[in-house]
Amino acid sequence: MKKYLNITILCIGVLLFGTACDEEFLNKTDPTVLVSDNFYQTEKQVIQAVNGVYGQLRPWHLNQWQYTEFISDNTTLHFNQGDRGAGPSLEALEFWQYNPSTSNITNLYNSTYGIMVNVNTTLSKLPDSNATDAIKMRSEGELKMIRAYLYFQLVQHFGDLIIITEPVNSPAEAFEYNRSPVETVYEQILSDLNFSVGALPASYGSDDIGRVTKGAALSLLGKVHLTRKNYSAAIEALNQVTSLGYDLLDDYADVFDPQNKNHQESIWDIQYQGDNQYGVNSNFIYTFAPRESVGAVIDFPGQDGGGWNTPTNEIIALYEEGDLRKEVSLREGYTSLQGEYVGVPYINKFNHPHTIRGVTNDNWPVIRYADVLLMLAEAINEVDGPTGTAVAYLNEIRDRAGLDPVNGLGKDAFREVLLNERRIELAFENHRWFDLKRTKTASELVSMLNAYGLRERADPTTSREGIPFSNNDFVFEAFEILFPIPQDQMRINASLIQNPGY
Amino acid sequence: MRKCYDSVQIKLRMLITVLLIMVAMVGYARQASQISGKVVSVEDNEPLPGVSILVKGTSRGTVTNMDGEFSVQASTGDILTVSFIGFTTQEVNVNGGQTNYEILLESSMGDLGEVVVVGYGSQRKADITSAVSVINMDNMGEIPTTNVSRLLQGQAAGVQVRQKSGRPGEEMEVTIRGIGSLGAGSQPLYVVDGFPIGTSLGQTLNPSDIESMTVLKDAASTAIYGARGSNGVILITTKSAKEGTVNLDFVVNQGIQNVPDGRRTKMMNGTEFAQFKNDSFVDRIRYYENREPAIEEIPLEFRYPEQNTISTDWFDEILNQNAQFQNYNVTLSSGKGGIRSLVSVGYVNEEGAVIETGFERFNVRANIGGKVNDFITMGWNIAASRSNEDYASTNGRSALIGKALWADPRYPVYNEDGSFNDYIGGTNGVFGTGNVVQELHEMERTLSENNVLTNGFLEFTFLKNFKFRTSVNATLANTEQKEFRPSTLAGTGFNQAPPREATLLQRRDETLNIAADQLLSYSKILGDHRVDALLGFSAQEETFKRLQGNGNEFPNDQVRYLSAAIRQTSTSEEADWSLMAYFARANYSFNDRYLFSASFRREGSSRFGANNKWGNFPAFSAGWRISEESFMPETRWITDMKLRASFGVTGNNAIGNYSSLSNMGISNYVLGNAIANGQILSNFANANLGWEQSQQTDIGLDWAMFDNRLVLTAEYYNRLTNNMLLSVEMPVISGFTQSLDNVGKVRNRGLELALDYRTKFNQVNIRSNVNLTINRNEVLEIRGENDEIWAGGFYSTYSVSQVGRPLAMFHGFKMVGIFDTDAEIEAWPDQDGAVPGTYKYFDANGDGVISYDQQDMIEIGNPHPDLVLGYTLGGDFKNFDFNLMFTGAFNYDVFRQIEGSTMNMDGVFNILQSGVNRWRSPENPGDGRGATSNTWKWQRESNSRYVYDATHVWLRNITLGYTIPKNPIVPNARVFFSAENPFLFTSYVGTNPDAKTRGGINIGVDDESYPMPRTFTLGATLRF
Repeated sequence: MKKYLNITILCIGVLLFGTACDEEFLNKTDPTVLVSDNFYQTEKQVIQAVNGVYGQLRPWHLNQWQYTEFISDNTTLHFNQGDRGAGPSLEALEFWQYNPSTSNITNLYNSTYGIMVNVNTTLSKLPDSNATDAIKMRSEGELKMIRAYLYFQLVQHFGDLIIITEPVNSPAEAFEYNRSPVETVYEQILSDLNFSVGALPASYGSDDIGRVTKGAALSLLGKVHLTRKNYSAAIEALNQVTSLGYDLLDDYADVFDPQNKNHQESIWDIQYQGDNQYGVNSNFIYTFAPRESVGAVIDFPGQDGGGWNTPTNEIIALYEEGDLRKEVSLREGYTSLQGEYVGVPYINKFNHPHTIRGVTNDNWPVIRYADVLLMLAEAINEVDGPTGTAVAYLNEIRDRAGLDPVNGLGKDAFREVLLNERRIELAFENHRWFDLKRTKTASELVSMLNAYGLRERADPTTSREGIPFSNNDFVFEAFEILFPIPQDQMRINASLIQNPGY
Repeated sequence: MRKCYDSVQIKLRMLITVLLIMVAMVGYARQASQISGKVVSVEDNEPLPGVSILVKGTSRGTVTNMDGEFSVQASTGDILTVSFIGFTTQEVNVNGGQTNYEILLESSMGDLGEVVVVGYGSQRKADITSAVSVINMDNMGEIPTTNVSRLLQGQAAGVQVRQKSGRPGEEMEVTIRGIGSLGAGSQPLYVVDGFPIGTSLGQTLNPSDIESMTVLKDAASTAIYGARGSNGVILITTKSAKEGTVNLDFVVNQGIQNVPDGRRTKMMNGTEFAQFKNDSFVDRIRYYENREPAIEEIPLEFRYPEQNTISTDWFDEILNQNAQFQNYNVTLSSGKGGIRSLVSVGYVNEEGAVIETGFERFNVRANIGGKVNDFITMGWNIAASRSNEDYASTNGRSALIGKALWADPRYPVYNEDGSFNDYIGGTNGVFGTGNVVQELHEMERTLSENNVLTNGFLEFTFLKNFKFRTSVNATLANTEQKEFRPSTLAGTGFNQAPPREATLLQRRDETLNIAADQLLSYSKILGDHRVDALLGFSAQEETFKRLQGNGNEFPNDQVRYLSAAIRQTSTSEEADWSLMAYFARANYSFNDRYLFSASFRREGSSRFGANNKWGNFPAFSAGWRISEESFMPETRWITDMKLRASFGVTGNNAIGNYSSLSNMGISNYVLGNAIANGQILSNFANANLGWEQSQQTDIGLDWAMFDNRLVLTAEYYNRLTNNMLLSVEMPVISGFTQSLDNVGKVRNRGLELALDYRTKFNQVNIRSNVNLTINRNEVLEIRGENDEIWAGGFYSTYSVSQVGRPLAMFHGFKMVGIFDTDAEIEAWPDQDGAVPGTYKYFDANGDGVISYDQQDMIEIGNPHPDLVLGYTLGGDFKNFDFNLMFTGAFNYDVFRQIEGSTMNMDGVFNILQSGVNRWRSPENPGDGRGATSNTWKWQRESNSRYVYDATHVWLRNITLGYTIPKNPIVPNARVFFSAENPFLFTSYVGTNPDAKTRGGINIGVDDESYPMPRTFTLGATLRF
């Protein structure tokens, strides 16, 4: 009997403890995706990782209007008291009622660092990949240019920033970083940009059009220097752009026509594609069209817009008589399908025919040649006053708009004219808030915004249907020039210091 | 991986072969001079395992096996003493020539001798040293239900069952001993006939097929299920044939369902709403412009409310009054001979209380099993079901029920020509929406499931005290969903007038789950010592696949297939998980008086990080049957008394399948005007992700009095959940805002009391059972000391878990009144945007500002009941019988989220009827509950005004039966009447105090869902 017992125990022992492949049985990975540990190895994967970063810029740019146009005196909203979902956080930006809990500010901060992690991870894996040196160099140039661009956006919005240039390996590591002074952030930006200027090609073959170029890096470098008031450095960078073959298009409308993408004037466009369901489309007009337009603006049955980013009375009034850009950039109202005229204005720049509801084909211009010319004029004026070159650049822009040239202005007057020209030429292209911050002192900005706010309160661009403003709507204080660091980040990391005023 | 799984299986097969050979040899080697027999219970003819058989005057003895069988050496003239706890000891004479004995034992002490199904085995109730509740189907009445989870309602202390809505076929939410986890699931593990099917019962089981259920509550009983034991385990045993009988049973149950008046929310009718809108224009001009309005300033449609002719009660319009309920079951069982079998067929059809919805299911179940020979026992079970549901989207404000409440009542359902009026409201600020009746009629929404569950086992008895059991379980579920939204319907959002684009979704899922268990058990009785031991190995694997297509824009609404769509997209998915475990358990008892048990499980799971795949789950328990001690006096007060204590560690693996890994996600771009594939990181990796562990201590008392007429069970438990699997916030500079980590602690401790009383007055038998649960939940630790987890939103409510408080408490503004005048607003901390008539909020942080964010939000309600009650009263008199079952929950809050819309008064929604008493002016301040219509601000936000006490007692079921006297045609027949959910006693103004609109741990948020009907049925059971 004992013998059988022994055999039994042996057998069971084999069964219970001899399963050498336990670990294999317990290793499961999601078959529908790749695990990141095994990625970033081949050249194809490196290119896909870089493309992924560009891909993140797509949704990111769908929202930037909120922080640059909408918050400024260029645009407002058509108040919708029924919308207490997404509405209040956007209203907080428009009415300067934002605080550290405002979710759209959190979104801006979080989504930007959400791109940064992919920039940093790809950069850190790049040296060990099998990609050719040429691709490695190009990819590093692209990634650093994008990183510089994103930090540049963030530093203008938030001031001192946490600079992160490598992936973190554990949650604990992420708590070790703290905010660096604005100066240090700009050093990082310039270091990245200077690398990209050297690494990026001036143009690409037809398969790669849409990637950032040397021209884009130089233009951005010029803009950073201009913002830092390093005017001669700005001129040096921007002057190089003028010799790269860019030019203004003859017709302002062609600049935004999706049939005419990546033309001679575009230096860096965020690429979108419509007319298909691949999910890489834009949808700007669906946000910007009047919210009760019921198919009259967007040509689909019953289609309303969001009623956001509505051009203010103020900017509409600013267009000079005969400015060819006005009809392209905005409309003061529309005719409903019932034939009634409705005086709710809307941005028209990104309104083009498309075949699928909600799916538009419009690219977003980040930097175009007109911007470079206006920046050059601005920088030259600051260094040497309104020289012939500076005036010529401005008049090139005005000429295309069908307007008379300006001449004989002093330095200060030229600066004002130039700022106005930027406001009109680059209207609704996400420049206004940064232009104001760059060219105005804090007290100038406070008084001009509050004056604008009082006018909007007294005579709103769009009807509020009897709903009064809250007391603090459209009241701007100096500390609001910088956004608050989001509450969630402050709460979990006690060592962070909030911007003053919040 | 597949290969590996196969190799485990190959090893198994080899082992089985070896064992077979060995067993045969053992049998061959055996001596033939023995007598054998079987011990069964006289009550139900069930075999009794573990019965002690002793040859009187010798030390020779044995104990019966799981099938009640024994063999012992004895000669003519010997006397066998057959004793078993809970049964009267019997002596049997051994006669010459008779070698086979059937011994019937009579119960001496109620249900203590009963054998209870426990994890990987069964145990005599008297021997159990852990917290286990047995739910017997016998004393439950005839419940017209489609879901087995209903059978758990009100039956066991510590088990809370919430019926979240009245949706036909819907599984109820079962929580055992409180919510133990902030991040992972809190549902118990369900084990059907030994097969762990997961944390959801689904909708496939037929309630009529259930024989009994055992709820394992403490760690000593659940630790054998390791990483799935933390939230309790529910063992479900399906019916099998009773030994020695052949039966043919029919059950017929038919009836109707209605939503009673008391469970309908009363909204303003058309005239009242027109009057309200009229008033709101008047009030606005009066306040903001300080003048009386001219009549022309009121929009024409509201100018003369008294002339309003149309008043549609949209909620009434979508109700299906007298909805049919039908249930039929036929069961054939044969328990004669060595092999027993049962076949059952069932059909249930429940029309929904909402028109065009309903649930039906066909069930077939067959099992066969028994002794093949002296050494081999086998069993096989197969159950198949098909269910079809016509569903509707009913949860929350923007779904059907919500819309039926807030849609403008001044519109008719049908146009004059009989067609649907397809767009409701949408004028002068009132939100436009679709016609809910039309949506129910014209949308096609079906969900069907085919489910096959099969399991089989082979058991070898060898070396006298050993058994080896190998079993395989498998379930295959296929579900199919189709949802077509025709172009004739308005959009799902606000103000989206038809026609819209037609849309179609078609989805097919397949889930295959296979589990295999190998169990080696040993049991031995040596004099006063009784030992049971178990050694086991278990492996389980699940694969899920999905194929889904979406179609948009259809040339017509008639051809409703993907191929007809102008635009089509498709997706496919696959996911899997696996686990593997080794476990052991030993039970030892001395003298039936001192009981000890220990178990251990080591389990590996594919869901955890590479560094933490394996977890260890030990448990210990001990019991002391004080009543067996000689020093205890013999008294009617103590029939049996057992004190027991247990401690153990269990786990929780209810997290995502691949949470420990960082995956690449797609982020495409456009380059050269063509799509360029891009890849980005989709989450933060945590290779250290490991087990959430619960440590649970349990102290219990089982006390039977007065010859088992009164049985008391009392328990104290303390469950500490550690290393919770929680999404932890981390600085977003890492690229992500959160990662899963093992942090935090939650404690649930409480008391459970169950009292069972049976008595007889003359010819009336009465039995009653009351069970009470007092659970206290506290978050002890999250990440840091002051960490909090907020779920929800500013315009609904927040469910907040804070250290030192119960989890998921409601947070919002504390409403202290309604502002009457501008002066009052001026004097109060700055509440920007407030006008007279606005809710007045408490400045919680004392900074002089009521901030329009979370800063001034404080705790405003507690969704956890102080006390949960279940009460059953049953009895019979002659041929009549009755059964009543109550459930109750006391002192807890529900946040009635729908009032944020139906009571915010800004005129975009229809309003609760009670809104006629809103604030109009300081002279006419209303009932103090409704705000002015002059502002949109401060009435939608989370605030204490919408918190209600939801204390309730619910009479869940009344069953009245009459047994037809025996007659030659139908030997056993009974007819019955049953009422389900007939009476609800509560002051809660909503329709369901069990409501739960929000997912996860966030209980007690009521944003309206499928209405709760009551069901009345008449039925009969026949046995041939």
